[in-house]
Amino acid sequence: MAKRKKSDKKKRPIAVSVIALAIVVLFLIRLIQVFTALIGENVFTGGIAGPLFTGWRLTGMGTTLLSSASYLILSVAGIVTLIGFLHLRRWSWVLLMAWTGISLLISLVDYFYSHANYIVMASNVIIAFALNITDVQRMFGIRRDHGSSL
Amino acid sequence: MALVSDRSTIPASASDMDLLRKYEPVVCYTKGEQFYPTDVEHYVSESSLWEHHLDGHDELLVKQGELTLQKLTEFHQAEFGSVRYLRFIENLSLAETAKVLADQGLLRQKLGNSFHTGIGRLARGGILPRLVDGLFSLSFLLRGKVSAATAAAAELDYNAIFEEDPKYTYYGHVSRQNGWTIVQYWFFYSFNSWRSGFHGVNDHESDWEMITIYLFEQDGQLIPEWAAFASHDFKGDDLRRRWDDDEELQKENESHPIVFAGAGSHSSYFRRGEYQAVVSMPLPDWFLGLIRTWNKLWTDTLGQPAIDPFHIPFVDFARGDGLCIGPDTLHEWSPVLVDESTPWVSRYWGLWGLFARDPISGENAPAGPMYNRDGSPRGTWYDPLGFAGLDKITPPPQALQMLEANCDKLSARQEELKKLIPQKAYDLQELGTRLNGMEGDPHLAKLYLALEKEINVLSAEVRNLRRESLENTAILQSLLQRMEGMKSGIKDNPRAHIHHITQPDDPTQVLRFEHAAETWAAVSLSILLFAIAALIFFTPKYAWTGLAITLILFVVAESFLRGAFVQTVGRLTLILAMVATVILFIHFWKWIILAALLTMGVLLMVNRLRELTG
Repeated sequence: MAKRKKSDKKKRPIAVSVIALAIVVLFLIRLIQVFTALIGENVFTGGIAGPLFTGWRLTGMGTTLLSSASYLILSVAGIVTLIGFLHLRRWSWVLLMAWTGISLLISLVDYFYSHANYIVMASNVIIAFALNITDVQRMFGIRRDHGSSL
Repeated sequence: MALVSDRSTIPASASDMDLLRKYEPVVCYTKGEQFYPTDVEHYVSESSLWEHHLDGHDELLVKQGELTLQKLTEFHQAEFGSVRYLRFIENLSLAETAKVLADQGLLRQKLGNSFHTGIGRLARGGILPRLVDGLFSLSFLLRGKVSAATAAAAELDYNAIFEEDPKYTYYGHVSRQNGWTIVQYWFFYSFNSWRSGFHGVNDHESDWEMITIYLFEQDGQLIPEWAAFASHDFKGDDLRRRWDDDEELQKENESHPIVFAGAGSHSSYFRRGEYQAVVSMPLPDWFLGLIRTWNKLWTDTLGQPAIDPFHIPFVDFARGDGLCIGPDTLHEWSPVLVDESTPWVSRYWGLWGLFARDPISGENAPAGPMYNRDGSPRGTWYDPLGFAGLDKITPPPQALQMLEANCDKLSARQEELKKLIPQKAYDLQELGTRLNGMEGDPHLAKLYLALEKEINVLSAEVRNLRRESLENTAILQSLLQRMEGMKSGIKDNPRAHIHHITQPDDPTQVLRFEHAAETWAAVSLSILLFAIAALIFFTPKYAWTGLAITLILFVVAESFLRGAFVQTVGRLTLILAMVATVILFIHFWKWIILAALLTMGVLLMVNRLRELTG
């Protein structure tokens, strides 16, 4: 019986697929947040009407544009990271962990001061814990051997 | 024994003083050290004697200039709980304070003996230990402490005494216990300037340090086998090194162990270097329990390294690049032999310097060689073997004999077991046969149960005997192997007894941005406090969030400088994820439990159905 040729490619753990799925979900949610805020301020129909600052303070329009821009950056960063992540690149693990941390921080600030988006929060929690799995860390070269991290 | 033939020996009939001189150490200090071993007589003559009473007042017993070693040991009645102490430096007025501080600067300039920290302790710990360190520094506002002016005055006075009578003294104590000859070298310093001079934990008037050498007798000669150096308040096996362990125990002319003394602390080390001395905060048990639970979750479940921010790193600089005292150096020792008959050793139980009223004792002066601060006997004096974990170790000439006796005892027991086990096993089988015979006879039920009980006891006994026999075989094998080794002159690993070896910091391991990290370490805590003040003042509504974000930014900046960015980002995200998990659970606990139950149900069902369908 002919032996099955072993694939040289690293086998992707299930957690990586789960994380990738969560990134896509988050990307879509963040994108909706970008557009909802801009639609709310009639930016698409009326353009940027009115000033962004009054003195040193942001106006309503200014705040909307700032938060939309932040969400857009997060979404785009998420997609870039996703590409690297699916290729099992080390930098993508670091970037994704940092991105998840920032996203979690924003979610927590939202929770304490306005309305929390629990789907985003839960997705981030899943990503954070999944990224911390030893096998996933080894796969990305974050952890070299059992118990020791870089 | 061939192994010890190359060691420097001394006839067992030698006097105690000859013994002392034969193995007296070479002590090497760090450049910048201000105090060296001195004699107690000069120190006492420059001190006053005090009694601190329970009602809080201090009574002067003998004033400065009138105190002698004889007067020190005179009887003064005092109530239980009072503290007797010496005072080397009297209270200083504002003008005197300014003068001693200025004179100290001039003296250091004149001696050209200055200390350079290098990469200090602040950069060796993270931001959390530094935060706790800040609290530790502030604790001196509440605790009693020795002032900087006292340290400066002590330095000036010590130098004045030294100029008058330039000598370096040690106090030798020779005792004999369990076949060992124990030679102790006690060093007395006028002051411990670790905090004020070298950014350490504490300062106190006077300091007693000690090293011990353990010798055994063979063919009329005393042969050194172990050396133990006192280091802070540690004790046990980790303190001693075997004489033939040249890497760990350096020696001058094969006879004189080299000691590297910590700058200001005078703590003794086997190797030159900079040591991390960690101070644990006195925390309540419930809080320590919380930390333990957190660490269990953090390490066992999340696979992260344990965190303990309540350990403050201090550096004990034992560089050995300063003055060295001892044989074959420029500075010789003046030895003094002491024992229990020396009055100031046995009859003065008080403190040898200022009682600073520090509740955790770090700033209070120590008591003498024979006593602890509370007046109880000092273990290092009356139990020098136990102090270094040697109370369980037989001197080499008797070791083989004791090993043989042990083997004989075990072999005898094995012989006994060889007869006992078959006999008991036969008895057990006999009872078993009887029990089988009683089965099916209802009128014998009571007897049957009693016999069954007896059988169970006997069965357990046979099992235990068999286990003992097996264990004895293994032990005996190990002992015989060791005996063979000893007979052929093979010594065991000289460090086998050490559980935790104190290692100096690796000088090659530098931080990524050494100077930036050091500067950042020095200013970060203050910047953090300014940031908190700004947050409270400008955005009180968002103060807590602002504080959390500021702390995270500080930790990230710190991690970048320390080359630990990846780990830190991972850990911070995990902490945030844990907070979010708690929030999600509070809001959706019913759904989470429901989902967990449904998932478990489905998994179990799939499992069972798979079992059914083969």
